[in-house]
Amino acid sequence: MAQETTIRVLDPTATQSIATDGMAERPGSLAGMRIGLLTNDKMNAANLLDAIFDVLAERFEVTSAYKINKGDASRPAEPDLLGDFSNEVDVALLANGD
Amino acid sequence: MTNPIRLTSDSLELPGALEAIETYFEKGWSDGLPVVPPTPEAVTATLEAANLAPDAILGIEPVKGAVITAEKAAINAVMAGCKPEYMPVVVAAIEAITQPEFNLHGITVSTMGAAILLVVNGPITKQLEINSGVSVFGPGHRANATIGRAIRLIVMNVLGTRSNDGLDKGTLGHPGKYTWCIAENEDRLPWEPLHVTRGLNENDSSVTVFSGLSGTPFGEHEASDPEQILDAFAQRMYPLGPGVGETIIVICPEHAAHFEREGWDKKQVEQYLFKSARKTVAQWAEMGLPTGTRTGQAATPDNPDHVLNLLASPESVIPIVAGGDGGAWSMVIPNWGRGLGSKAVTRRIVTNG
Repeated sequence: MAQETTIRVLDPTATQSIATDGMAERPGSLAGMRIGLLTNDKMNAANLLDAIFDVLAERFEVTSAYKINKGDASRPAEPDLLGDFSNEVDVALLANGD
Repeated sequence: MTNPIRLTSDSLELPGALEAIETYFEKGWSDGLPVVPPTPEAVTATLEAANLAPDAILGIEPVKGAVITAEKAAINAVMAGCKPEYMPVVVAAIEAITQPEFNLHGITVSTMGAAILLVVNGPITKQLEINSGVSVFGPGHRANATIGRAIRLIVMNVLGTRSNDGLDKGTLGHPGKYTWCIAENEDRLPWEPLHVTRGLNENDSSVTVFSGLSGTPFGEHEASDPEQILDAFAQRMYPLGPGVGETIIVICPEHAAHFEREGWDKKQVEQYLFKSARKTVAQWAEMGLPTGTRTGQAATPDNPDHVLNLLASPESVIPIVAGGDGGAWSMVIPNWGRGLGSKAVTRRIVTNG
């Protein structure tokens, strides 16, 4: 039993969320994969993604780079934009390049 | 008597208040300052003051879907040092910051480092003694200090946007991230108060939230007409570049008196700044400021003599009156993202009485 001098206090943190999206399953290999490059409109994001794609193309048999720009670094991509993107690619790379 | 409020948060049993304060430091639940230990009794009193059930949802952060319940908001308000009667202001502020147009996620995680400025209007400012006068942005006023702090603790603890181990990636941060809450000085207004401009009734109380960068104060002790005073504001706004969106100008009472004497209204302020604050492309370039689509302008003009306005529209300027009677010191508070990525939001404060 608690002593009279103790104090009970409450946890201020919360993890309750209505979000349902989780992480996509990772592919076992990049061979033959269509690579998507999603930039966030920051000025160096596309440069960074292009450089990473070049490395992947050298090391793996990836088939294509499909590029889109979500157009606003501070907001999520529009669902329509992501829908098209997900139909065109197997693996997506994102970058934030200030 | 049975307590009708049933709290569901996890609790800790600790030897005393000092141990609780230390424990909250260790768990990363403070902003770096001691917090008031949130006992169930204090949290219950805070919920009752706003007539809230613990599981009431006050807001949902739109990007992550994080839910802010009344119970978690009240715990953080107690920790911040709020009196129970401050809770309706905290509730209205939560409703405001979770509106999509405020872009809470963007402004709180960004390297740009904006803080959330709360501007309270209406009868509640005097009831709660929210400072609007001398040293309005300074310390020494419990309501100002703790209401603003409560919102920051909620952002840190409920949304997980902390700078030490969370999502806040501000390069320099912002002192207003400890607390930033003021009242408009309605006794010194030459025109209607902010909440009336933004669609509420004069007898309403409200909170307006604004994603502000650090303010730039300036002294203009010689100007005695509104145009000269607004020209002085414009000089401090030019570094924001052309086509800037929502920006707060804090007009001190001494400056406000000149607007009152000349019978100016807010529309005149907006129109004058919009029309007179402008530079050519060459002049903007001399200041090292970009023009073109990234500034919100329609296109990049090739002509160096082409004129670009400082403001994206007349409504880009949000005038408020605040501060003490002595001294002709006013301030520009720039918005995060040049005022184009976050909109100020006003919500009515609902009280039991």
